[in-house]
Amino acid sequence: MKTRTNYTTYQSPQFSILSEDQKERIYNGMLRTLQYTGANVHHEGARELFKKAGCKVDGVRVYFPSEVITNALATVPPVTEIFPWDGTTEKKITVEKNRSYFGPGPTPPNFIDTETLERRKYLRKDASLVARVCDALPNMGYVQSLGSISDVTNGLADVYEFADMVRNTTTPIMSWSFDKEGCRDIHRMGIAMAGSEEEFRQRPNYIFYGEPISPLVSDYHAIDKCMYCAENRIPQVYSPCAIGGGTVPATHAGQLVVALSESMVGVIASQLISPGTCVIIGGVQSILDMQYSIYSYGAPELSLLSAAHTEVVHHCGLPMYSQSGCTDTKKMDMQSAMEASLSINAAMMSGANFVHDNGYTESGLTGDVFQTVLDDELISMARVIERGVEVNEETMAVEQINNVGPGGHYLYEDHTMNWFREHWRPTLMNRSSYEDWVQQGEKTLKDRVIEKTRDLRDNYEGPRAKVPARADEEIEKILKEAEERIKKEQPAGKK
Amino acid sequence: MSYDLGKITETLIQGKVDRLTELTQEAIDSNAEPAKILNEGLLPGMDNVGEKWKNGEMFMPEVLRCAKAMSKSMDILRPRLTEGELGSAGTLVIGTVAGDLHDIGKDLVGMMFEGAGYKVINIGIDQPNENFVNAAIEHKPDVLGMSALLTTTMPRMGEVVNSLKEAGIRDQITVMVGGAPVTEEYAQEIGADLYGANASTAVDVTREYFAKAKN
Ligand code: B1M
Repeated sequence: MKTRTNYTTYQSPQFSILSEDQKERIYNGMLRTLQYTGANVHHEGARELFKKAGCKVDGVRVYFPSEVITNALATVPPVTEIFPWDGTTEKKITVEKNRSYFGPGPTPPNFIDTETLERRKYLRKDASLVARVCDALPNMGYVQSLGSISDVTNGLADVYEFADMVRNTTTPIMSWSFDKEGCRDIHRMGIAMAGSEEEFRQRPNYIFYGEPISPLVSDYHAIDKCMYCAENRIPQVYSPCAIGGGTVPATHAGQLVVALSESMVGVIASQLISPGTCVIIGGVQSILDMQYSIYSYGAPELSLLSAAHTEVVHHCGLPMYSQSGCTDTKKMDMQSAMEASLSINAAMMSGANFVHDNGYTESGLTGDVFQTVLDDELISMARVIERGVEVNEETMAVEQINNVGPGGHYLYEDHTMNWFREHWRPTLMNRSSYEDWVQQGEKTLKDRVIEKTRDLRDNYEGPRAKVPARADEEIEKILKEAEERIKKEQPAGKK
Repeated sequence: MSYDLGKITETLIQGKVDRLTELTQEAIDSNAEPAKILNEGLLPGMDNVGEKWKNGEMFMPEVLRCAKAMSKSMDILRPRLTEGELGSAGTLVIGTVAGDLHDIGKDLVGMMFEGAGYKVINIGIDQPNENFVNAAIEHKPDVLGMSALLTTTMPRMGEVVNSLKEAGIRDQITVMVGGAPVTEEYAQEIGADLYGANASTAVDVTREYFAKAKN
């Protein structure tokens, strides 16, 4: 009898922070908050939309009855796919339960120079570098830039970043923009890479990231961009950077209620405009350090909050945008490795769908691609644990155990030949003997991370040469038009 | 009636807002000199709080509670103090520049200034350049504070400095700038007087600046 009934051979270990009751309660806390406190929405069009759907509107304040929320949640798609632009499928993203994709984070002002190792402003050339390095890293499932470009026309950092990144990686990008105009330029580039608008709708090739403001505010540009994405079926994230004890309650449950509530505004808007469009929530969930007044990216609370938030978000039937691999360190050191490994492991065990900020240092103020390279290895280690233990006749190997018997060894066994390659192989962690290590130059983990990163920087070409000439021209044209546009406008953050 | 400056110091350190207001009023009613209440009652208290914060014995919410108590007490004292007696406890106008919605860092700075005895006028986030200039004209603050959290909005701060010059009031006001991407060099570049790396040093450098100016 080979088959077994209702038997799980494979079980990913996932920890559970919250009980079903607790999740329900936080969910209800969100319903109560949106109904009785409501949220400020600084966008007339959005308020109209909510009003039509049955919300009470008073000035900029919108009160959401629970049926408006549950209706929105009912149309969120259970699965969405995002495709590499080159037609391949290996790096395809499937946004659904139990699939995790890790990536860097967006927009810090500073960057660690890969040559001097000094902190400096983020430059245009860094965007393609980060894209190329991430393209080569097997555990970066999607890409963000790790910085905001300082050496292009003020207000066009978003557009240049996408233009350069998309041509240097086929791994789907998570983009951002100052406002709808930037969003539109980026979308035109996404379409150029897809071939046509129709093809983009069939095979979206990037995700957009926008942020409401804690507590309970959707500013004009945030919700404007959210609505644009919904209209154009661009998969999007709508999630805050909630600061525990600062912009949200200091208690974790209170933080989750507020964060969930403000994100829900984007979920509702997106589903009212285009039912079934992909929307992901979550965001940065951590605490305000009450001694140094920084938003801590290395705090263990970040891991706990993100994991608990993942459960609540999944409970709502939504995909989760979580966080890991980040640190408060100023320079690569033991602290950065420790903080990153703890949060990566926790994010992995929580089963979040997208996990960002791998490569964030100095509390989100400096992007460090060395950290991303280190995180890539840490993610692959955490994946081993997440894969769990397969238990069946073949893996239990009772026959082989009998063949070898007591004493002896397994090195000659076919079974070993068939299976040993399943063991995880390090690329950065060192396991050599002391003598070999000395002979090879006594390199520390830091030395090896630097070496690997520079090797990718200098020798990995990425897909730049594969970009169709037509798309390339179109992107250059969009950049020129963006320069024209910015001369005329005075949009958010760039007047 | 009598008064006890030691009690005022102690109550301030404990962050008891209402109790401190009462004690301040009682001291005034008992003919204590307002400058004495400030210099021997309140300021030693806030110095102690600042010290405890730096040493990790007290944390931000506690410090801000003390700052609030200080500020309420100052509301009573301020009208009774001469300009000279007010010393460094002047007026601060603070806001986040146009196009920038980051709120909490600027609020923290404002609250810490309240703790230093300042009257603080917080004009909010996303404030157009002219609002800073107008607020400067209207409130005649000792310090005009601008916060920017985005590299794209940082240039607004330099523009405001220029507008203050155009309005002919630049030399009457001390300009302070801050925010995560702002640096000391940048502050100098745009012609600001002071740079605050964080909320507590913002207060410290302002104090030092005025102390130097006096000498
Ligand atoms: C007058 O004198 C002074 C003196 C000292 C002064 C001072 C004035 N002002 C501040 N200080 C100083 O003292 C304070 C207390 O010690 C300190 O204030 P801070 O504000 O630094 O510290 C606070 C106590 C805690 N820190 C914070 O509150 C800021 C934290 C981070 C994560 C942050 C947050 C929370 C937010 N954000 Co934004 N945000 C980031 C921030 C990353 C970071 N680590 O700083 C930063 C600043 N944001 C950034 C970005 C890009 C953006 N944000 C945006 C939005 C937001 C939220 C609204 C969601 C939210 C703010 C919510 C709120 N209620 O304030 C968007 C812009 C919106 C806009 N137009 O303003 C958006 C463009 C993101 C998007 N894709 O839409 C990045 C800036 C990059 C750059 N090149 O400038 C960023 C560094 C994050 C990142 N790693 O990418 C000091 O700076």
